Amino acid sequence: MTSNPVTKDFLHFEDLYLGQQVDLGNTKVTKAMIKEFALEFDPLPFHIDEKAAKASLLGGIAASGYQTGAIAIKMALKNFPGTLASSGGMSITDLKWKRPVMANDVIGGTVTITLLKRAKSKPQWGIVNLDFDIKNQKNQTVMIMTLNNLIDVRNPEIGLEGIT
Amino acid sequence: MTTWYEDINDGDSMELGQYCFTQEEIIKYNKEYDNQYFHTDPELAKYSHFGGIIASGWHTACVGHRLMVDEIKKREEAMVAEGIVPGVSGPSPGIKKMTFLQAVRPNDCISYKLTVVSKRPSASLPGWGLLFSTIVATNQKGEKVFQSDVASFSKMRDFKPNMKQRLGMWAMKIPLLKNLIKR
Repeated sequence: MTSNPVTKDFLHFEDLYLGQQVDLGNTKVTKAMIKEFALEFDPLPFHIDEKAAKASLLGGIAASGYQTGAIAIKMALKNFPGTLASSGGMSITDLKWKRPVMANDVIGGTVTITLLKRAKSKPQWGIVNLDFDIKNQKNQTVMIMTLNNLIDVRNPEIGLEGIT
Repeated sequence: MTTWYEDINDGDSMELGQYCFTQEEIIKYNKEYDNQYFHTDPELAKYSHFGGIIASGWHTACVGHRLMVDEIKKREEAMVAEGIVPGVSGPSPGIKKMTFLQAVRPNDCISYKLTVVSKRPSASLPGWGLLFSTIVATNQKGEKVFQSDVASFSKMRDFKPNMKQRLGMWAMKIPLLKNLIKR
């Protein structure tokens, strides 16, 4: 059994299944949110300045792609049916910013488990791939990415045989 | 990059600077965006395999982006002051792979460096090229903590559009038509 008292009631490897899909709910991305995030991490004129944004190809204030990603991760943590016994992310692959997120767009979408396997060399961990499909209120995909994450195994001694 | 697409060579690099993460900032970011015990609570984080609080990988990426924006801005201003027209960077269509190699902990000072790996003309945006770059982040002990293989648009200086492209670019300037074309 796992010995971490913090995560004992969290969702472990054994509680997840391949193909599991989580609805991310909705987040309205306001102009104030866009400006606040951009001032800290992405101070480009078309995220902050109304005039510059109007003159840009996008025609208005748009969120930083990094903000869309940050909100996506936040929504995933909030909407999983329990707290994930995560041991950290290892990588993010095939991230695409497909469409801009404009001020007052409402973003949501899904996260789907597309890989779930035990780690051969580390029996205490499983590897989970979470595919994010972030959509706007018009049901258009604005961003996709795959998060490759470590997830704690509740009973590391069980079921290791046959793992390659 | 502040160099025009035509003048960028594979292997061109840019030091983006260094940033020291404080515990306070790590907790603030994570309470908002990555609310997990080993990101937000120094005491509970001791039970994790990290043995203490660590920064969110996405936070590490965001800080690198901020440093890049600042460095480009600084270089642009210096070029303009010398009467040189700087190259134009466009948005990023995506990141092929972002790898979190080592934990970033409070008081770690992380240095970021961008290197261009390859470039090619954009198939979708006439007059623009695509740069494929690698951002590598290293901590004060010289350990590589993070890598991001990022694509970005870069404007061509010498681009001469053909008739069809000129018509398309002209049409994009008309608001209603622009919306139609986008769909």
